[in-house]
Amino acid sequence: MRDPIVSNADDGTQAPFADGDRLGELAFRREQAKAMGGSQAVERQHKANRLTIRERIEALVDQGSFREIGTLAGTGRYDENNRLVSVIPAPYVAGHARIDNRPIALGGEDFTVRGGTSFGSQRRKGGQGGFVEDLAFHYRIPLVNLIDGAGGSVTSLKRRGHSVFPGVDGFERSVELLGRVPVASAVLGTAAGGPAGRAILSHFSVMVRGSSQIFAAGPPVVERSLGQRIDKEQLGGAGVAVDTAGTIHNAADSEEDAFAQIRRFLSFMPSNVWELPPVVSSDDPLDRCEERLASIVPEKRTQAYNMQRLVRMVVDKDSEFEIRPTFGKAVITMLARLNGRPVGVVANNPMVYGGAMDADAARKQIHFMELCDTFHIPLVFFVDVPGFMVGRKAEVEGVLREGMRAVYAAGNLSVPTVTLVIRKCYGMAGMATCNKNDIDLKLAWPSAEWGSLPVEGGVAAAFRREISAAEDPAAKERELEAELRPYASPFRTAEAFAVEEIIDPRETRPVLSEFIELAEGRLRTTLGPRPRVGVQP
Amino acid sequence: MATTEVASEVTGSVWKVELEEGDHVDEGSVIMILESMKMEIPVEAPVAGKLVDVRVSPGESVEEDQVVCVIQS
Repeated sequence: MRDPIVSNADDGTQAPFADGDRLGELAFRREQAKAMGGSQAVERQHKANRLTIRERIEALVDQGSFREIGTLAGTGRYDENNRLVSVIPAPYVAGHARIDNRPIALGGEDFTVRGGTSFGSQRRKGGQGGFVEDLAFHYRIPLVNLIDGAGGSVTSLKRRGHSVFPGVDGFERSVELLGRVPVASAVLGTAAGGPAGRAILSHFSVMVRGSSQIFAAGPPVVERSLGQRIDKEQLGGAGVAVDTAGTIHNAADSEEDAFAQIRRFLSFMPSNVWELPPVVSSDDPLDRCEERLASIVPEKRTQAYNMQRLVRMVVDKDSEFEIRPTFGKAVITMLARLNGRPVGVVANNPMVYGGAMDADAARKQIHFMELCDTFHIPLVFFVDVPGFMVGRKAEVEGVLREGMRAVYAAGNLSVPTVTLVIRKCYGMAGMATCNKNDIDLKLAWPSAEWGSLPVEGGVAAAFRREISAAEDPAAKERELEAELRPYASPFRTAEAFAVEEIIDPRETRPVLSEFIELAEGRLRTTLGPRPRVGVQP
Repeated sequence: MATTEVASEVTGSVWKVELEEGDHVDEGSVIMILESMKMEIPVEAPVAGKLVDVRVSPGESVEEDQVVCVIQS
């Protein structure tokens, strides 16, 4: 149900409360706030297939849990006797509420009031250094940004009498929040400027495919600067911002879907870094051993298989929530649960270039590992990685640097980690799937193989002279490969206790669940913010 | 009736096409197999339905995100 729209149009009529009726005045001012930018502006918002900020809040949070703060902030208009006539509310609605009965701070631009541009109040309600950020920071509760605005407007220049130096209302608090409480942002309209910046300074971001756009600068600026004519969807729709650039993590089909994704994301998160992530009861049996796991990896080493399906067979039924499903697809990153405990799954995807790590996959894996590390969510790596992606395109994209940043990020992990090698684990990309600061637990399926590089290709490189000198070079190469292949058996590595255990694929769920449960004691004693370390390569 | 376009995840070539137009597919049915990075990469049906359009044939090159077939469900 939508709130009835009370007009706050400037029709010159006097406010409907008697002189001195303070409660009447409060009720009138609250009504004016609820009316937002007036019925015409609300209608325009609905016609654009977008909800108003107040409808968005109602759709996101537990029913009736929203407590607004700053309801009366706005611009009052008074008659010649200084009696209130109307109030245009501030273009930002903020407060606290509950999601799954846990408290959150939230706020968002009201596009129906001056297009959600920033508002020159004594104290900012939202945005950089706004009240809602302070609320999340000091009370250590998650922050949800409902973004629908383009930030500052030059119209404030004249009112203020001077221009504002960048960073006076800076991102310091937004940056601090990233190490303290979960921050989730939904881009629900066209975002540029400060609101766009805050969408990036989030642990999880989502936008609506078809009706949201985000960019550093919109079409008019692009045309003036570069002479390029491009519409806002082509410039910053989900096809660019989510699928191609990875600027925003997930796309949603509707605003309701975006809110559902935010609720889902937060369900895995603790309220802050001083707490453990919430454990739920699971009716999926801990000892469920999926028969199909025994045959899911094809015998033929060059045949790809569906890693998504494999992971889904292991984790609690329907518990998975994939982050960035359409970006950097060579790796799959998802939050899921094992026996009710949250885990972060990083799984290489053999369907996409054999799972080779490219720059986008590395960027995706880095963000996800840091997210889980910050909020004490143990990581499980399902490994099938032949190495870094090769070729000129990959090099142009900086695969080596991005890939090594993934290795660096893995080297800084403090959260407990289980590495499970499904098939291939080669080279430096393989190193990005282990955590030696933890117990360095490496499990493997019998289908596993590893090394600095695969025997094929490796033989051609190492024995180049010997092969080319042979009468039949191809036969020689095959002969050398056959000679070395038995040594690549994972069982030989297990003999040397260089991999800690080889498990029957069907036992994967119970084995992983037990380790995740074991890790809880350690997690409980290492809560708090993560220290900042070094310089990222 | 919904139509679902199925796109290739990779740049590569079509090795073999396993099903024909008109065939019924279940979610996860292998429609064709591509070859890329010396790997055989199955193209699986994301939804159940009827295969109504197969847009590539064996030997043909495919680009990342290219629609290779269409399912009606």
